[in-house]
Amino acid sequence: MVFWSLFKESIVFALQALVSNKLRSILSLLGITIGIFAVIMVFTIVDSLEQNLRKSVQSLGDDVVFIQKWPWEGGGPDYPWWKYLNRPVPDYKELNYVLENCDGAQSAAFMVAGNATVKYKSSSIENVTVICASHQYDRVKNFEIAEGRYFTEIESASGRPVGVIGDVLAKALFPNQSAVGQTIKVRGAKVLVIGVFKKEGESILGGSPDTQVLIPVNYARSLIDINDDDLDPQIMVRAKPGISNDELISELTGLMRSRRRLSPLEEPDFALNQTSIISNVFDDLFNVVGIAGWIIGGFSILVGGFGIANIMFVSVKERTNIIGIQKSLGAKNYFILMQFLFESVFLSVIGGFIGLLIVYLLTLVAGDSAGMEIQLSRSNVILGFTISILIGVVSGFVPAYGASQLDPVEAIRSS
Amino acid sequence: MQGAAIKRPVLITVVCILGFTWIVFSFPGVFAPSLKKLGDWYPALFGILVATSFISYIGLWHMKRWGVQLFLISFFVKETLLVLINDVSYAGLFLSVFFICSILPFYKRMDVNL
Repeated sequence: MVFWSLFKESIVFALQALVSNKLRSILSLLGITIGIFAVIMVFTIVDSLEQNLRKSVQSLGDDVVFIQKWPWEGGGPDYPWWKYLNRPVPDYKELNYVLENCDGAQSAAFMVAGNATVKYKSSSIENVTVICASHQYDRVKNFEIAEGRYFTEIESASGRPVGVIGDVLAKALFPNQSAVGQTIKVRGAKVLVIGVFKKEGESILGGSPDTQVLIPVNYARSLIDINDDDLDPQIMVRAKPGISNDELISELTGLMRSRRRLSPLEEPDFALNQTSIISNVFDDLFNVVGIAGWIIGGFSILVGGFGIANIMFVSVKERTNIIGIQKSLGAKNYFILMQFLFESVFLSVIGGFIGLLIVYLLTLVAGDSAGMEIQLSRSNVILGFTISILIGVVSGFVPAYGASQLDPVEAIRSS
Repeated sequence: MQGAAIKRPVLITVVCILGFTWIVFSFPGVFAPSLKKLGDWYPALFGILVATSFISYIGLWHMKRWGVQLFLISFFVKETLLVLINDVSYAGLFLSVFFICSILPFYKRMDVNL
């Protein structure tokens, strides 16, 4: 009962303080609002980017090993690029060798990607990514077909001019009709659309299927040089269930070395990449951004706390004689302490709530324009309110304790 | 009537100043990404501990027994939490034990009131 009467009274006092000194209160709350906004906004963006990255990595396949010329890791001024420059690119025959001999592989596909202009009647779209892949591509890469179908084995093997296009492309080229069954031109060559990818949205790693055209690699031979270094030919190998990436890499290393007739002392002339390399690089980046936001936001909240402490000192000073009267009528020290403490927490929570509200509104606006889902998570809301309550307690305790220790006689006399 | 203020020993003044400094620098740690990764409620728990420690230092500064009691409670809860998440810092543990050893001899001289 005492708690609730205290709680009610403190809310009334806090509202009175807010209403009677609007500008002063708003300026004090602004510190907390900006601090909570800064911290929670950074965390929300980092969390959303991380989620998007995980989704992108998952679509690449976290159990897929990529046999390529260039390794993904490294970079910077010390990157020994000259060691990799003269390496041969993986070729289609090596895919067959892997499929025949790799026990740990569930499926494998050869893939090259290039840009081309895609046309349909008078409409044309430039710089469309054209993926030229072998038949098992659908078993290595995670994607869904919304309309139509994937290539049959015969279409892939014989190199029929068929293709699966992305949702964005389908809508742009065929605005009021189904894309399936239509014929588009890729690099001037006719391609019959047999399927449309399910819309996935923007990917942080790029390469969203929404804007891609997928054609059989055997058909692509007539359009491009599939061993062209610039098209980054690669063999994607998915591990069997129960086989770890490390086991698969170990087996593929042996197979590729034997296929390329490398002596035991020779360095491998191929790279075996996996998606964990990308996630590790991004994890480091997100950690740095998170820590920067944490430090900047942390200290701005601390400064906001000083603002709340200041307003509470003023509040105690203004109501010193009321405190004296309350104490002379029998109010205990803890009652006075709790009264001011609640007021400070309430003010701080209002500041935090406004900060969270701004973040929420911005996520709604930014989510639409950024093309990816930005969500204010439950953990960030909990964190925002926790910080607000704590800053209210920490910054309000000293003035509240000072008020509780006032001598009633001296307090009543104060003007 | 309020009781007469008890003179604060230099050792407790030093402990309080070190404690307040620790609070200022550890408060931003409440929303450290590493803590957030442990679970939704860990930042809140750590924040409550920081706030409790801060209040206990104020109690100690005013030579109040509740300050010592609150300090001990927050110390044990904090260490239990650190053991649970397997992140015990021996330097922090040593410093806290040093603080407790410094303030306990003055406990009887402290005020029992709020």
